Amino acid sequence: MTLPMLSGDLQVITVGAGLLGEAVDAQAVPRVGVDWRPPLPGTEAAIARVLADPRRAAANETAVDRLLSARPHLVTVRPAHEVLDLAPGAFLHAGPPIGWKRASGPLRGALIGAMLYEGAAGDAREAERMLAAGDVRLSPCHHHRTVGPMAGVVSRSMWMLEVHDAEHGGTAYCSLNEGLGKVLRYGAYGPEVLKRLQWMGDVLGPVLRAALAVSGPLDLRALMAQALQMGDELHNRNRAATSLLLRELAPAIVDAAPERAAEVLRFIHGNDHFFLNAGMAACKVSADAARNVPGSSMVVAMARNGTDFGIQVSGLGDRWFTGPAGVPDGLYLGAYGPADANPDIGDSTITETGGVGGFAMAASPAIVRFVGGDVAEATAATRSMYEITLAEHPAYQIPGLGFRGTPVGIDVTLVARTGLLPVVNTGIAGRVAGTGQVGAGLVNPPVEAFTTALAALAEEAPENTA
Amino acid sequence: MSADLVRVRSGVYHDSVSLMGVSRALAALPGVEAAVVAMATELNLGLARDLGFDLPPADPSGLLIAVRAGDAGTLDAAEAELERQFAALANRRTGGEAAVSPPRTTRAALAGVEGAAVALVSVPGEHAFAEALDAVEAGVSVMVFSDNVSIEQEIRLKDRAAAVGALVMGPDCGTAAVGGVGLGFANVLRPGEVGLVAASGTGAQQVATLLDHAGAGVSHILGVGGRDLSAEVRGRSTVRALRALDADPATSLIVLISKPPAPEAADLVLDTVRGLATPVVPALLGPDGHDLTSAAEAVLNALEMPIPDWPSWIARESGEMTAHGPGWAGGALHGLYAGGTLCAEAEALAGEGTFTDFGADAYTRGRPHPMIDGTLRLDALAAVPAGDVVLLDVVLGHGADPDPSASLAPAVAQAVRRGIAVVAVVVGTEGDPQGLTRQIHALAGAGASVFISNAHAVRHAVSLTGSAK
Amino acid sequence: MLAAFPAGIYLEVRTENEPQVVAVIRGDAVRLPNSIVLSGAVPEAAMGDDAAVGDGTIRLGGLSLSAGRWWNPAPPLGPAEPGLLALAAPAMAAALDRAARRPGLDGNGAVALLADGCARGSLLDTISAAYRLIGLGPGLTPSGDDVLAGLLVALRHLGTAAGVPRAVHLADWLAAAVTFDARTRTTPISATLLHCAARGEASPEVMSVLRGMAGRHPLEPAVQRLLPLGHTSGADLACGLRIGLDTVVSLA
Repeated sequence: MTLPMLSGDLQVITVGAGLLGEAVDAQAVPRVGVDWRPPLPGTEAAIARVLADPRRAAANETAVDRLLSARPHLVTVRPAHEVLDLAPGAFLHAGPPIGWKRASGPLRGALIGAMLYEGAAGDAREAERMLAAGDVRLSPCHHHRTVGPMAGVVSRSMWMLEVHDAEHGGTAYCSLNEGLGKVLRYGAYGPEVLKRLQWMGDVLGPVLRAALAVSGPLDLRALMAQALQMGDELHNRNRAATSLLLRELAPAIVDAAPERAAEVLRFIHGNDHFFLNAGMAACKVSADAARNVPGSSMVVAMARNGTDFGIQVSGLGDRWFTGPAGVPDGLYLGAYGPADANPDIGDSTITETGGVGGFAMAASPAIVRFVGGDVAEATAATRSMYEITLAEHPAYQIPGLGFRGTPVGIDVTLVARTGLLPVVNTGIAGRVAGTGQVGAGLVNPPVEAFTTALAALAEEAPENTA
Repeated sequence: MSADLVRVRSGVYHDSVSLMGVSRALAALPGVEAAVVAMATELNLGLARDLGFDLPPADPSGLLIAVRAGDAGTLDAAEAELERQFAALANRRTGGEAAVSPPRTTRAALAGVEGAAVALVSVPGEHAFAEALDAVEAGVSVMVFSDNVSIEQEIRLKDRAAAVGALVMGPDCGTAAVGGVGLGFANVLRPGEVGLVAASGTGAQQVATLLDHAGAGVSHILGVGGRDLSAEVRGRSTVRALRALDADPATSLIVLISKPPAPEAADLVLDTVRGLATPVVPALLGPDGHDLTSAAEAVLNALEMPIPDWPSWIARESGEMTAHGPGWAGGALHGLYAGGTLCAEAEALAGEGTFTDFGADAYTRGRPHPMIDGTLRLDALAAVPAGDVVLLDVVLGHGADPDPSASLAPAVAQAVRRGIAVVAVVVGTEGDPQGLTRQIHALAGAGASVFISNAHAVRHAVSLTGSAK
Repeated sequence: MLAAFPAGIYLEVRTENEPQVVAVIRGDAVRLPNSIVLSGAVPEAAMGDDAAVGDGTIRLGGLSLSAGRWWNPAPPLGPAEPGLLALAAPAMAAALDRAARRPGLDGNGAVALLADGCARGSLLDTISAAYRLIGLGPGLTPSGDDVLAGLLVALRHLGTAAGVPRAVHLADWLAAAVTFDARTRTTPISATLLHCAARGEASPEVMSVLRGMAGRHPLEPAVQRLLPLGHTSGADLACGLRIGLDTVVSLA
């Protein structure tokens, strides 16, 4: 056998005692020093056990390969009741499972609004009473191949974007984006909110369906790759992606519904976040392809319900690992301040799970000051995510980093080893139901979501390993 | 009575995030009650109206400024701040790339590395497995300097390494040299054709430095860790290291330095040795085998090189000493060692006395290795009773104390003044940063007898003890 | 001191025997076989400054440099199958023909004569060509010298590795011829490098190409790392290596 290190010019990687690194430097040998720090407290044994799991390396390779090779296409738009297992009186919500009692303001507001929209209650008070009484079935979007931004409430009559994975055959859904300001997903349920939902059901949904029938499936992977090169990070900035989507769909919209085309196009044009929901469904269908690989420590979902932040891990089935959702640190609209902010909410962290959003911050100079800083800090944020991810995305690239692929495939063991938590870039909902968006910023997921997932992986690891 | 400032500027654009920053800066001024600085979209106009501002007509391309303050003076201050903020926005540099922060894991460090590479892991033992596994999974050989790594983890690392064609040196591997690059505690050795496979760090250092003195150079020193030839680990790394040196064109003679292997490992290792094209000098230490010096001599024989007289500097007896008669009389022997194998060798050869390995776990927990910081050993030296004999080692090279004699020589001088005979072995080469001659002269000048062969030092020390009479 | 560059300085040691130039270089500089690699920055010094070399150290101004490790500029290649070398020859030719970096003496008759003489094992033609090449070309290391250095190193290492004594024999004669009066015919640094090459010493980039030829690792990337060295030095060395490889193959 030959050892590569015995011939050729040696490079040394040092981790640990600085003195031994300096001894290498004194010999004028090229060296990369690791800035090592102890892992998250109490995780040493679980880390060692999970790393020793003989399935892990191959399992993670499989999982991340599936995540990266997914080819999401927007195929159509359909009412939720046609495609989701959603009985009358049942509603989906963002994040891990939660009941009315622990639900935060925006989620409560959105549920009330959805009940009013469905005609399940006559007024807000009645809706609230029914919800509090448990007469309404609540279930996470993620349990239904669905994601929803912010409150993420989905009801039977809402129209859903249907995204199909041409590689692995999966399907995922996301609702249509309502725009900014007072909207259902931020917990607003006033008459203008319901009126807009009505219009979206009556006009927007059917027109988009007809347009997609004309245009055929839309390659979201290609569109997202382009948008990243146009300054979007695809969570908090979707301006380029929305523009690209509009450009793709406009002729078909005009062909399919000439008499409604203007109002539909105007609506999409007026909402820089219109693409967000399609991007989320694309990330969801990709992440779902990577689910259920035994032994894999890769995160396949991160989601918040306004109270808890939860993650799911490929090797751990549909179990949720949760911790308290934090309040984002960011900038506030108008006179709003941190006291008005609700804890972190929404399934939109599926974008970070899929390697965009906060992970692609370096691609988006226009929004970097959400980090409270400058381009350099955004670049640093993206770079730090390479530390906790398994791969670099082949299609989603960052021009400013020499077209390096975005960091993708969060590994629970790497989070525990480095203590680096996923960078999440998000909107901030008002804590009082009906307020709407109050700001935008960055939020840290709770450490315990990752440490409990790690502990579960350690338990699942085969016996008799180190 | 509060005052409002309301403006709509046209032809100015800033992104919403920048403007939120401006709004926040204004709102933070004392006396400012509300501030909205935003592009004049319907949404933002609505927000401002909700706050009670009376707004002029505006289209979304305009920049809305709406500030409310407790008095006109504050409002003026806010307006000044506003202008300052806008000026800052206009002048804002396009922030250069932050200095790339160093990698946080071995895995990340290896991402940019191609070609010949080795990882040197010296994190606390309970964390070493993760870092070492990163290297092995990337197909890169690793030296695990850390101790306290479990034997299960050691076996797992070595098995993974075998599957990818890498070598695990260690755990608890104190020295290695790869193509002249010293890792851990490493001497500056002349390049040459002798490859060492060593289960012992200081053992390898003793043999290599003696060879260097005799003019024989070293190609590589591959450490395997003290447990590699145990019944559990069964020579996993020894076998691979032997084969790697066999295939290495720079190595024409291999030396295997180890305690006698466990029976479970011995056959495997012997079979491997028999299958090699390169000759192997086994230096199996112990009562029935070699000491390190005779191992070096066996290597020189195999190279057909002359064996030099290993140099020594014998301390002359001082006046008060001679009073005890010929030779230092009587005292007991105290071995105060920093190198584990050197200590074991001395204990075995001396057959008497008390020996302390200050590099053992009990003495290194929470403090640096005695090769780096000899404080504990100096205390022990000071406690040796007058008339006794002290035997100690000084290991030079990269990673070790940059000037061990600086603290040791005065302590030795003091001990000698107390009537203690001090015998030192200095393991090093002239090329070492500390300088072999300089260290020897400092110690000899302090009154110690100095050797470069541990075995010779031991024999001399024994000759000074009471039992030698 | 002979010369100073941002990446290093050259010291000339005036001895009676062969010219001795010592390169003191930064870690990221090209490591010539006569190099001492610094762990820190290049010391400030001016042309003509005096330095003292000997006793394991170099003293330069107020600095004293000593070796922290020794590196081998002529690591043995180990055995190489002649068949593998025969396969490497067309690969090497193709890589060089494609390369954008052209040797400084592209199309020069002396190079052609050298290649032809070597291929036939003709000492006379080889040495006549070598005489025409020593010192030929501009710069600190003239192209002709680089071609000869590449050839010498390739003949010695590949000849030994593949067991082709005629190639090693040719290297011995060629080495004797080019080092005989190199000191008077080319620059001091180039003369030193010819002496190094005569002993089989070369920079790691050159050794890497030889290992590629012997099938130890992929050849093409190694060639790509060699070619950009210096102005035309990399391409010239590669040209010499190619002639050496072809020679060993044809003499095998």
